[in-house]
Amino acid sequence: MLEFWFFIEVVLNGMFAGTMYALIALGFVLIFKASGVFNFAQGFMVLFAALCFVGFLEMGLPMIVAFVLAGAIMVAWAFAVERFVLRYLVNQEPIILFMATIGIAFFLEGFGELLWGADVHPLDIGIPDGAWFVGPDGVMMVQQFDVSAAIIAGGLVAVLALFFTYTRIGRALRAVADDHQAALSVGIPLNQIWIIVWAVAGLVALVAGIIWGSRLGVQFSLSILALKALPVLILGGFTSVPGAIVGGLIIGVGEKVAEIYLGPYIGGGIEEWFAYVVAMLFLLYRPQGLFGDKIIERV
Amino acid sequence: MFYREAGIFKTSYAADQALFRIPFDRIFVISVVLFAALVIPVIGNEYWLGSILIPTLIMAIATIGLNILLGYCGQLSLGTGAFMAAGAFMGYKIATAFPWMPIWAVVILGGICAAMIGVAFGLPSLRIKGFYLAVTTLAAQFFLLWLFQKVPWFVNYSISGVPTAPPREMFGYLVTGAEASVEARYLFILAFTVILALIAANLVRGRIGRTWMAIRDMDIAAELIGIKPLPTKLSAFAVSSFYCGVAGVLWAFCYINTVEATAFDIFRSFTVLFMVIIGGLGSILGCFLGAFFIFLLPIFLNSAPGWVGLEVPTELISHVEFMVFGALIVFFLIVEPHGLARLWAITKEKLRLWPFPY
Amino acid sequence: MAAVEGLQEDGHADAAQAPARDAGEIVLKLDNIELGFGGVKAINNVSFEVRKGEIRAIIGPNGAGKSSMLNCINGFYKPQKGSISFNGKTMSAMDPHFAASNGIARTFQNIALFRGMSTLDNLMTGRVLKMRRGFLWQALHWGPAQREEIKHRAFVETIIDFLEIQSIRRTPVGRLPYGLQKRVELGRALAMEPSILLLDEPMAGMNVEEKQDMSRFILDVNEEFGTTIVLIEHDMGVVMDISDRVVVLDYGRKIADGTPDEVRRNQDVIDAYLGVPHED
Repeated sequence: MLEFWFFIEVVLNGMFAGTMYALIALGFVLIFKASGVFNFAQGFMVLFAALCFVGFLEMGLPMIVAFVLAGAIMVAWAFAVERFVLRYLVNQEPIILFMATIGIAFFLEGFGELLWGADVHPLDIGIPDGAWFVGPDGVMMVQQFDVSAAIIAGGLVAVLALFFTYTRIGRALRAVADDHQAALSVGIPLNQIWIIVWAVAGLVALVAGIIWGSRLGVQFSLSILALKALPVLILGGFTSVPGAIVGGLIIGVGEKVAEIYLGPYIGGGIEEWFAYVVAMLFLLYRPQGLFGDKIIERV
Repeated sequence: MFYREAGIFKTSYAADQALFRIPFDRIFVISVVLFAALVIPVIGNEYWLGSILIPTLIMAIATIGLNILLGYCGQLSLGTGAFMAAGAFMGYKIATAFPWMPIWAVVILGGICAAMIGVAFGLPSLRIKGFYLAVTTLAAQFFLLWLFQKVPWFVNYSISGVPTAPPREMFGYLVTGAEASVEARYLFILAFTVILALIAANLVRGRIGRTWMAIRDMDIAAELIGIKPLPTKLSAFAVSSFYCGVAGVLWAFCYINTVEATAFDIFRSFTVLFMVIIGGLGSILGCFLGAFFIFLLPIFLNSAPGWVGLEVPTELISHVEFMVFGALIVFFLIVEPHGLARLWAITKEKLRLWPFPY
Repeated sequence: MAAVEGLQEDGHADAAQAPARDAGEIVLKLDNIELGFGGVKAINNVSFEVRKGEIRAIIGPNGAGKSSMLNCINGFYKPQKGSISFNGKTMSAMDPHFAASNGIARTFQNIALFRGMSTLDNLMTGRVLKMRRGFLWQALHWGPAQREEIKHRAFVETIIDFLEIQSIRRTPVGRLPYGLQKRVELGRALAMEPSILLLDEPMAGMNVEEKQDMSRFILDVNEEFGTTIVLIEHDMGVVMDISDRVVVLDYGRKIADGTPDEVRRNQDVIDAYLGVPHED
């Protein structure tokens, strides 16, 4: 019985980690849907946004001001990316765009550390950090932090879903996602749409960065951690918001369970690669992801 | 004026298909190689040979490897570091298990082991493309490094986990390990670099190279003219990983003199990728230009402020370095996806007409 | 518009020539082919055969399933039902490699050249299946590998001469104008020394001179090399002029099959192209 509760605890832990992956993956999906760009820099945007936020806090600004300022920086960043990069890479092959975002990632990393230094910044924004004990005799521990984080993430996803389904911008965005040229021909300004999605992705990155940062401290390893959103996307399919969430949960739970139950036999540290290997094996079986459409190739 | 094509007539297809179609090119390349082999070891000092030329040449080998995969076959890999590590660790196992084996054979066998591992991780390329594939190569990167760190068999149960590279001789000179003279190590590496570059140049201009490029440019059409996608892609993965593996063995045996996984982390993969992009996708010459450029740029950034009398903390410079790399990548992708190699070609075009404008 | 004109114009010179050439044996036979994507039936129970040495046209309005038909013939699509007989072998679907290595070559509706490679290299890819030297020889590029390379280069040069594209030998094909790209693509198919050549709209988007050139090349290939040609084309003037027999598809079904003259007079074909008033 104890094992059972322990197992539940591991799964729950995994699910919370999974929502965090999903939150980062969401940023990827937004940008991919609207511009066909696979944004490798998303993880670095998470780090950068968190660095800015922490930096402003450390300057003694109140939290809300810091949040707004960091948000403004992310929006400015979206403008800069459109102005200096995307504009010149219209109609390039996806793989070129992908490599360009690797360049953006490096730039952003250097820039962030230039501004705010490379040290680990602790971050405390007052999310309750205790634990609840549930189950018979309280054998199972649930981190209050995780629950709050999951609620924030869930709320954000819901807001985004509403935004994209019911607003004019959301509709334009889906049109662009479907066909760039067709969208242009009905007068949708492509460049503005790109700025908007990059800005939204930047804000999502800010939220993700704050939550991750309060948990682990704001540091360089955040960007590597955020790379785990890539296998999440592969599972979920690159264009599906629900896919990103389900994929995140599967990866989160999978790697925690594997680490606890498989780790002791093969030497621990499985978490580092588990997600990638799962994604690779999954792709062999279903290249279009869980929720993607089957690709019909034409000549 | 002195560099020209006009007046050079080919009378056979053999001459027309030669590696360097213009005599000047041939003479130039041969003299560069001779200079590198005969003059540089004499005039170069410990720092230049040991800290700049050796690592740059090794990285150039890895860059050729990735360029074959990415620039010629169009398959993006972010696992270059892992394939280098595979070469290094398997080379170490082979060298220690068979101490009698000549060192050149160890290097080649290390490369072959890496090639086999590369093929295994290349298998998904049949069904997936582009950045999907890139993500699966991240699996290779993280999984293989974890494996080499966690399984003590790979380091012969060494207590520290970081064994030193075994010293081996060639022609009576020590060429690997910390005791080997820097000139001997340099010449050993130079020999590998020249031969491997020549082989790569031959492969890409023959049948195999054309099948790679066909898959890169339009895989569907390639399949319909009878090129089988899987063997073609896997051969690119194999050759590419072989080059990376050889580079890995040399890196561990002749440069850092230890066999450790951390030398081949994901940033190694990115460095090689940057060398390919900046040097030029689909150019063997570009691999050398890219490797030198990426390797020399940080050195330049570190010493440039000193020349103008500025004191800049090194930490700051390392941040700026990241920014410069990032910006350069974007710049080259936008302005000149064929990289420095293309700029070189344009220079030659100009040179052909010089001193006349046209 | 060209379609309508071609249909209405009454047969002239070629009417007499057509029946004289259908004596060849059947080299390719498609039986009851059905192909669907999800719910959409692209090809519905279509059968026809191709005789040796003829120029066989497939025509029909857009979306009639013409390109899908070619895709089935060289194995890019696998039909769900029906069979394909080729070279005395009957199979439920063609394999692309089998098709290519047994002499089926094709060009594409939207040019599918290898854009990063030169004209010469594009043509040389057509010889890939005929080159045998292994990896190690390739790496050395010397001895047998070099001799082989030169032998095939010589063959490719004859095609370059034939298509009159000597001057663009070393130009990357991505930089060539559309008409020349189409020609290079034909060259790549010819480099495979095909027994059957599938041409998917070889004259789409060309001006009159380019069409004349292309028609001349097609007829020359057919006559000089005896290559069987299966052709999709929208320009009815050209189709009726150069083809021996014509298959007409509409909405995935075959509605007519015969000499250009027979097809021209067929009521279903006229209806498909000009439309019929619906009474339901």
